[in-house]
Amino acid sequence: MAVYRRTARPRFTLLLLVLTAITLLTLDERSHGMGFVDTARDAARDGFAPVQDAANTAFRPVIDFFQGAFHYGDVEAENARLRQQLADQEAGGMRAADAEREREKLLDLSGLDFVGDVPTVAARVVETPASGFDLTLELDRGRDAGVARGMPVVSGGGLVGQVIDVSRRRATVRLITDASSNVGVRLASTGDIGVAAGRGAGSKLRVDLIDPATKVDKGEAVVTSGLQNSDFPPGIPVGKVVAATSSTDALQQDVTIEPTVDFRHLEFVKVLQRAPGG
Amino acid sequence: MISRIKLGVVYFVALALHQSLFVSLRIGDVHPQVMLLLAVAAGLLAGPEEGALVGFGAGLLADLFVQTPLGLSALTFALVGFVVGSIQSGIIHSAWWIGPVTALVASVAGIVLYGLTGAVVGQAHFVTPRLAVTAAGVGVMNALIALPVMRAMSWALVPRSERAYAR
Repeated sequence: MAVYRRTARPRFTLLLLVLTAITLLTLDERSHGMGFVDTARDAARDGFAPVQDAANTAFRPVIDFFQGAFHYGDVEAENARLRQQLADQEAGGMRAADAEREREKLLDLSGLDFVGDVPTVAARVVETPASGFDLTLELDRGRDAGVARGMPVVSGGGLVGQVIDVSRRRATVRLITDASSNVGVRLASTGDIGVAAGRGAGSKLRVDLIDPATKVDKGEAVVTSGLQNSDFPPGIPVGKVVAATSSTDALQQDVTIEPTVDFRHLEFVKVLQRAPGG
Repeated sequence: MISRIKLGVVYFVALALHQSLFVSLRIGDVHPQVMLLLAVAAGLLAGPEEGALVGFGAGLLADLFVQTPLGLSALTFALVGFVVGSIQSGIIHSAWWIGPVTALVASVAGIVLYGLTGAVVGQAHFVTPRLAVTAAGVGVMNALIALPVMRAMSWALVPRSERAYAR
């Protein structure tokens, strides 16, 4: 093949591009969520939103087919789990009814009716993380719908994340699994306070600051603490304990939790119209 | 001028596909990075300078839609496009598999470079053992979609009489 190629000073061009990129990185770092960088991002997202919506609609059958084909194992496992659950419930009979009443009481006690009277905005997830390094979701609601930076985002399963960027028609939500995410939490049974830190894609959350003497059971619910000036209201389910270990001389336990939200299958979420610390 | 308009069309279509289709085609939280692939294709087809320029533009567009530092993808993709373009002059282009293999290797290198550069600019959490899995996954997926992307880039950058990937 003959090759079409410019030969005029490619290294000089690369040098200019590298310097431009470094300048942009510096400006972005210094703008702290303000300035032209965010204006440019907002304009790009708002301007591209109709194209993205149309493309999402057009490719929906392809995406559904792909997800059905490549996540068949997940569907099968979920199906088996639900069948088992149904069988347990049928066998349980009266016990299940009792358990349900107890569960409702526990929910009341723990404040797990987490939305309460906080006004909410329902939104559709229009984009899952566009980069493996950036665990964010894109919602189809923005400033025009009353969404603001810092608002918590929940789904039926519990806490999804927090709005970190908002334009007129779009909002970006940082997932609680993102490595830069930290959420104040408490153990539902003991009330011990800790911080649930994200560890990136495919990883569970780590809970810091749990006293080594605290008895932490596997499967125990972990909810937002809602302490003063917290970004999240109290009682939102965050995860369930999957592992807790403690050594004799440790200052805290190593507690790992699995999020209660299935981030791979989020379609709709609710944005709580509550200012951080409000 | 015509070439720039065509390149704009390729950018637009690639971005629309990336933001809707490709981000949903995930296997183990990994999906194709078509904007990185544009840089690879441009470098392979049109040399280091064009590879760097196209990579920078594609990276900048990608940066506008993520929350990672603006300029990080632009910097990485420009370097990838330049390196691929610099190496491509020693490659015999007649074999059809050159494109996919180059896409595989360059994408793996690009994702690793992205993670390392991110760590340098304050995103230390980019460098985890998972980085290798992500890089390998993106490499394989980009290799699978390399041929149509090569064709599109060939349509945009290479004169009709010299196209190999447009057949």
